[in-house]
Amino acid sequence: MPALEMHEVNKVFGTGHTMVEALDKTNFTADSGELIVVVGPSGSGKSTFLTIAGGLQTPSYGEVMINGHNITQMKEKKRSHVRLHEIGFILQASNLVPFLTVDEQMTLLDKVKTNNLSEDELQDLYQSLGIEPLRDKYPSELSGGERQRVAIAKGLYSDPSILLADEPTASLDTDRAFEVMKMLNDLTKKRNKTTIVVTHDTRLLDYCDKVYAITDGEIQLQQREHGNS
Amino acid sequence: MFLAWKEIKYNKLRYTLITGVLVLVSYLVFFLSGLANGLEQLNREAVDKWNADGIILTEESDINLPRSNMNIDDFNGKGVEAYAALGQLNAIASVGERQSNVSIFGIKEDKLIMPDVTEGESFSEKGEVIADDTLQEEGFQIGDELEISSSDTVLTIVGFTDNARFNAAPVLYTNMDTLQQVRFGEAADNNEGVVNGFVVRGDNLADVSVDDELQVVETSTFIENLPGYTAQNLTLTFMIYFLFIISAVILAIFLYVLTIQKVSMFGVMKAQGIPGKYLAKSVVAQTFQLAVAGVAIGFLLTILTGFFLPAAVPVAFDYLTMLLYGLVLIAVSVLGAFISVRTIVKIDPLKAIGG
Repeated sequence: MPALEMHEVNKVFGTGHTMVEALDKTNFTADSGELIVVVGPSGSGKSTFLTIAGGLQTPSYGEVMINGHNITQMKEKKRSHVRLHEIGFILQASNLVPFLTVDEQMTLLDKVKTNNLSEDELQDLYQSLGIEPLRDKYPSELSGGERQRVAIAKGLYSDPSILLADEPTASLDTDRAFEVMKMLNDLTKKRNKTTIVVTHDTRLLDYCDKVYAITDGEIQLQQREHGNS
Repeated sequence: MFLAWKEIKYNKLRYTLITGVLVLVSYLVFFLSGLANGLEQLNREAVDKWNADGIILTEESDINLPRSNMNIDDFNGKGVEAYAALGQLNAIASVGERQSNVSIFGIKEDKLIMPDVTEGESFSEKGEVIADDTLQEEGFQIGDELEISSSDTVLTIVGFTDNARFNAAPVLYTNMDTLQQVRFGEAADNNEGVVNGFVVRGDNLADVSVDDELQVVETSTFIENLPGYTAQNLTLTFMIYFLFIISAVILAIFLYVLTIQKVSMFGVMKAQGIPGKYLAKSVVAQTFQLAVAGVAIGFLLTILTGFFLPAAVPVAFDYLTMLLYGLVLIAVSVLGAFISVRTIVKIDPLKAIGG
């Protein structure tokens, strides 16, 4: 069973002559252990794709299945529950709470959800992301790269099956951007997650299993000359 | 509580300022409640000391003791458990340069309104009085011979009693004959038996039968009709209640502005699946913590201030009332937080993260 499926998903904004079709008859499948990059220019429908995949908005038509559950007809409260338990978000804007230390960011998730990573697993995650010494630091005390790595740790702490990342390398220099992508790839494989990265940065394609291109709301799987490095 | 407390700890200055406003509001509320209570006591403590259920006054007196005049034979105690005739006169007592407003009560020594003597002895001879101990604080002493305004009679203080002020004036207790002498001078004999009312104790005052010109008034009604008493209480109570509203509005505005500033952060958290209910509870918990801290500090400051106030300031703290007002302040503050709760519930995570 695929972790994420979209069947004939269509998203329309506005009506009449102001109508915009942000996503057009989108069919998409992502399996466990896959890192998929969706590329496209600004305004192509990337964010709409990601937010519909993450249950933050519902499609105008079509169905979205998360681990076999149709989230399209769910009420917001139930979709919020799915987001908390099945999906980890790494957002373009830092998803860290400014008044919580790195450790407390994880404690916050413990307050609303059980079955998060154990202390040992969290320790491993910190070490693999190289943020172990930063446990007691506040976001304002971290560099852009460190913040992004903590955001990844936060996205993974609730042990979601799907990780959705919106421009995770936007604030990073090239070396850091590659480092983050390599990390996401390693974590995807090691922890058997499904990771979908939405970006306009084509430098990142070497680290993914599949590439989809999105243009004017239409998404297409790209044929690649060589695979994951 | 987790998010609430962490944020307060991180933004110490911001939340100290908000707590500071609450401290000042609660300080003012507590102080005003003390003032209201003190002024109440100033007016009524002699009446409270009677421990009576009612008072018989003339119908035409408009429930005003000095304006009520009747004869001591007009009531014989029928239908009540106990009663005592009372004569009353407002005057100015002076010894040398020292002057004070006083209320002179003419009573019978063996009757229920006879006060306990805390210092000195009780009156036994004509011209002797027991004085309220606030006169002692003003410098009057046992043995002082008091000149009374509009009278040639001289009264001698033979003892003091406590908690005996009537309508803000210290009371001088004396016997009926002395009061008549002060009131009527040489015509005292012609006015023998004139009293202002009868203080009564009994369960069924409504059943007490009195002449048509007289009325039985419950003690609470009598107190409410003391000159200026109700107007003063209503004014202070109105100020206190208004402060409750001010406190709720101030805190609501502060929290609303802070919530608006955090819409994006809350949106991100909601996008991550953190329930809006948890975030709303966090804001309410934060308000509760700030309100409890503000009210507690305000309470302590008020008590501390009480120790340094001069005796002339009529403040008397009633801790039960203060506790009640403190709880109301906390409750209205938390109520104010619900405007922010509404905002949080309505945050669309999609808009907040710029989707």
